[in-house]
Amino acid sequence: MNFFTPPQPTNAMPPANSAQRPPILTGSSLVKTYGSSTALAGVDIAIAAGESVAIMGASGSGKTTLLHTLAGITPSDSGHVGFYSASGLVDVTAMNESERSRLRREAFGFVFQQGLLIPELTALENTALPLMLAGYPRREAEGRAQHWLVALGLGGMETRRIGELSGGQAQRVAIARAQVTGATVVFADEPTGALDSATSEDVMSALLGSTVGQGHALVVVTHDETVAARCSRVVRLRDGRVLSHTAVGTTFGSNAVTA
Amino acid sequence: MTATTLAPPPPASASRSGRAPIGRLTWLLSRPTAQTKAVLALPAIAFAVTTALLLIVLGGVMMFWRWTIADADLYQMLSVIALVLLIVPLIALGGAAARLSARRRDDRLATLRLIGATPGVVTRMTVLESTAVATLGALAGVVLYLIAMPIVGLLPFQGEPIGAGALWVGPGAILLVILAVAALAAVSAAIGLRQVTISPLGVRTRQSAPRLHWSRVVVSVVAILAAYVMLGSLGSSGDWMLTIIVLGTGLGIGVGILNLIGPWAIGMAARLALRRAKTASRLIAARSILESPKATWRQVSGVAMTSFIAVVAGTGVSFMDQFQGDYDAPTRMLMADIRTGILVTVLISFLMVACSVGVNQAAGILDRRDLYVSLDRLGMPRSVIEQSRSRAILGPLRFTTFGSALVGGVLVFPLTSLALIFAPVSLVVIVGCLVAGVLMVWGTIKATAPVMTRVLSEPERM
Repeated sequence: MNFFTPPQPTNAMPPANSAQRPPILTGSSLVKTYGSSTALAGVDIAIAAGESVAIMGASGSGKTTLLHTLAGITPSDSGHVGFYSASGLVDVTAMNESERSRLRREAFGFVFQQGLLIPELTALENTALPLMLAGYPRREAEGRAQHWLVALGLGGMETRRIGELSGGQAQRVAIARAQVTGATVVFADEPTGALDSATSEDVMSALLGSTVGQGHALVVVTHDETVAARCSRVVRLRDGRVLSHTAVGTTFGSNAVTA
Repeated sequence: MTATTLAPPPPASASRSGRAPIGRLTWLLSRPTAQTKAVLALPAIAFAVTTALLLIVLGGVMMFWRWTIADADLYQMLSVIALVLLIVPLIALGGAAARLSARRRDDRLATLRLIGATPGVVTRMTVLESTAVATLGALAGVVLYLIAMPIVGLLPFQGEPIGAGALWVGPGAILLVILAVAALAAVSAAIGLRQVTISPLGVRTRQSAPRLHWSRVVVSVVAILAAYVMLGSLGSSGDWMLTIIVLGTGLGIGVGILNLIGPWAIGMAARLALRRAKTASRLIAARSILESPKATWRQVSGVAMTSFIAVVAGTGVSFMDQFQGDYDAPTRMLMADIRTGILVTVLISFLMVACSVGVNQAAGILDRRDLYVSLDRLGMPRSVIEQSRSRAILGPLRFTTFGSALVGGVLVFPLTSLALIFAPVSLVVIVGCLVAGVLMVWGTIKATAPVMTRVLSEPERM
């Protein structure tokens, strides 16, 4: 459990936000460049438990890079990412590749645009996979996975392979997989990007219910205003900088722009 | 907006003639980019190896057919048997390369259909590209063949090295081989295209695991019995030629049976492994095999043949060794030559299998790069990904190798005796062959790890 201890102090002080709850994940002065293009030019962000944050912006504004940096997928060039785990503050920036991999596996959950589930495995096996990777016996892992699938309305579809599910159903399996380990932060990259509006609505409800509804945090990168509108806060990026933080009914930030 | 601005632009010259500029489109879409380089290079390498091995084997066979020594006809018959045995893994390798080329069609369809190309145009483009890649690969294979000739020429037959020149097949044969490889690519691409099953939603339809039809069991049992009786009757005959013909037929039957029951047996073993899987990598490996036992069989069947040959050949070698003292010098030389021939055949079939596994593995990684990148992002350890990948091949490989060895053992049982199978020399040859085969394939899987590293390290650029 090396990534939970010891807590390392960082400069990543969470900026004030309207959530009034202690942050669970913070990014401070995050900078990331790819060759000559700057993806992140000093981003500060704090995400609280039980909060859902939509990250929006035009293509190339740095929103996916921000998500990858916060999730420990891509290390930033400078700045700090801090994760407040049950046992204290963890400096994600200071972790090596395998520690970050373990953090993602055990503390975070992910939902991608296409689901990206393993096509050969059944819905149940896909959902149980993170638990099996964490060392749970297969029977127990599948038992817990079953629970989540039923909770997400996929009871009776456990033995179906991913190709035998609709896009919305596959996305729910991905949500179940993201939450089966009890991840306290779930990152979703365009989770409804490949779905029609009705299915998109359902999937978003499932995603919010299984994360925020459990007191966990949700970070969503999206182009879709209706998806963003369902989150408790919208962070808009432009050219790698935060343009605005918009809470439901409240606007704050250096260059406040209301949605 | 006026009516004139809405008028469509004048048609391009190619459209006026009613034909799409397939050649130019193919060229435009084939220009190597970061993504396509590997997809084009892999089949080209496979075609090059196929061509080089085909030319070497052909050179060897032609060399024997030029001989005028006393036992020339015997050498000629044996060389044809070796050629027949090598055709199965050779076609598998060529087919793997061709299928890899044809896979590009899916990506194309999306882009080209959007700009209005018909499926026919896309098909013709893919066939054209596969054939062009195969031809380039075959030309590289000719160079490889020329480089390999002096090395293979060191092999001793009739007591002395055969020399590089003996393996020269001549310009006519080289041209024929290039044409044959190109034709194989074109036909495989065309057939492969028809077999690609994509539903309107783009979801790959599930290929159900083949069930064992009772007729397969009956055919297999009858064939084994026939071969058993046929080989058993050999003891009474002293005719070399008859022995070789019957032995060749027996081998053919064995190979046929293996192909008949192989995919089914692999599916059964995988179902068992799935039930018993305790770790993520074992679970994924078992499911990957069950996805298409036929495809798995195609990858490992070359080693199945080799292990089958190894048992038969190993027994043959020790059979001959037993009577070393009873023979005169020319006969002993003949026996030594047969042994060399057996080892060369086994080595070449291993090379072919390793090469097709390598091509298939690399293609598999590139095909599923999005999935592998997402699993990496989820925090799945790289070791689990690698373990499931190698387990999905090595499991069936071990299973097939020993299964085939068993079939081979049953078939040669009447020819020799059980004791002979366990004769030391025979055992060394057999075990050596099986271990070498598994190690070579394991090494090939390991060799494709850098492809995965590249996919995972540069997900945006792939």
